[in-house]
Amino acid sequence: MTASEAVIKTTAAKNIGSSFASHWLLRHWALEIFALFAGAVIWESLGWGLGLQWLPPFSQVIVALFQFVASGVILSNLQSSLMSLIVGFALSLIFGLVLGALMGRYRIVEKAFDVYVHALFVCPSILFAPIFFAIFGLSDASRVAIIFVYSTFVIVINTATAIRTVDPSLVEMAYSFGCRERQIFTRILLPASLPLVFAGIRLGMGRAVKGMINGEMLIAFVGLGALAQKYGAQFDAARVFAIAMVVLIIGLVGNAIVQTLEHRLTRWAD
Amino acid sequence: MIQVKNLTKEFGRIDNGGGVLALSDIDFQVRDNEFVTVIGPSGCGKTTLLRIIAGLIPYQHGEVSIDSHPVVGPGPERAVVFQNFALLPWTDVLGNVTFGLDVRGATKSDSQAKAKELIKLVGLEGFEQRLPKELSGGMQQRVGLARALAVSPRILLMDEPFGALDEQTRRLLQEQLLQLWERERKTVVFITHSMEEAVMLGDRVMLMTPRPGKVKEMIDIPLKRPRPPDIEKSPAFVEIKEYLWENLRAMQTHQS
Repeated sequence: MTASEAVIKTTAAKNIGSSFASHWLLRHWALEIFALFAGAVIWESLGWGLGLQWLPPFSQVIVALFQFVASGVILSNLQSSLMSLIVGFALSLIFGLVLGALMGRYRIVEKAFDVYVHALFVCPSILFAPIFFAIFGLSDASRVAIIFVYSTFVIVINTATAIRTVDPSLVEMAYSFGCRERQIFTRILLPASLPLVFAGIRLGMGRAVKGMINGEMLIAFVGLGALAQKYGAQFDAARVFAIAMVVLIIGLVGNAIVQTLEHRLTRWAD
Repeated sequence: MIQVKNLTKEFGRIDNGGGVLALSDIDFQVRDNEFVTVIGPSGCGKTTLLRIIAGLIPYQHGEVSIDSHPVVGPGPERAVVFQNFALLPWTDVLGNVTFGLDVRGATKSDSQAKAKELIKLVGLEGFEQRLPKELSGGMQQRVGLARALAVSPRILLMDEPFGALDEQTRRLLQEQLLQLWERERKTVVFITHSMEEAVMLGDRVMLMTPRPGKVKEMIDIPLKRPRPPDIEKSPAFVEIKEYLWENLRAMQTHQS
């Protein structure tokens, strides 16, 4: 193939690809909005039609949500929940990425930690709540610890798999150019493993949000979890759903942040 | 000069009964500025041999040395071109070609200038910002070649570099490789499973036998350089090619 042929070929492919993608995206978005709208309509009519106490109409949930926001209740609770989420998730990121990378690269580290990591991953993390409560009491530390155990192991496992499955021919190529172990890590293993690592980070983010609410409902009695607990006990379904929506938004925003970063760093893998 | 003496390579432990003898008693030299092609049936350990010379895998017995320095690992005087290209998918052509220079601590401006020169030399000017996946196989291997040449090695180790390419691309790249080599005669060890390629490119062909890999014969190629693209029609070319095929066919029937 001559150079000019190749240019034509690749630009043509790009144009077809992008116009196709934008159409698809447009329809995809329309569909998504329609699905949300249909869901709201069904919810609303079921809420009025069935008159169940645990299923208030969607509009009442929205009203409850606005009242929460207007009265400032959500904001103060949101702040305390988010703080523990950020600290807990940051810790699990550091721990998960470092241990995962070492396990993925060195057989001996993998052998030593694999059974623990998998056991803790499979074990329902909420089982640790009473233990953390015993250790840290009613402090933020117990919430952070719960978030940490919820989210860290999926990051460890994904990172280890990502590093382990990096194309060995790239590592060999790097050796042939005289790379030292540190350069193998920074120039080959880290960039090559990023797409899979990010998949783990996204899963970890989702689990961290779950851990945040579970921790607050079961041990710390603060933040959004405590609020949900309180209104749950009063059978105030509209308010519980309103809190659920806030949690949902936190999850979606967290996911969007990770995805944006992911897209920026791993565009080559699309 | 590359010197290989009584080289033996085992995978696993032979004396435990579980190992495989990949190479046995390999003995040969490659002179400076010489182009040696290595051919043999699959399983003759030709790629293993190349990886040993590259310093990528250890060997048990014998000696492998370059200018009488024993090979204990990769070195700056050698560069490898890989069969599967081994390009970094996350960086563009320029980033791939500068790789070797970057890891050896060249300044950014130096390595970019050098890389651009080589990208031009292999005919990829204008493709500096392309990712490997946007290139055809032939273009990808040109990137692999430019990356190897960028570190100015005296010895080029090529592991079936055109083996993954279609026939037409392969022919074009062979011709271009010959032109490049005429310009600057590096020492080359070139692994191949193509008889035409072995004869067309090499000053000598090393014919290997399989299981365990041994050197059957070193064959001189008395074809004048520079070699024209229609060299394949010359009687000497045909004769050596037929001779290689007789030998290789005999190895196949012997095995099956």
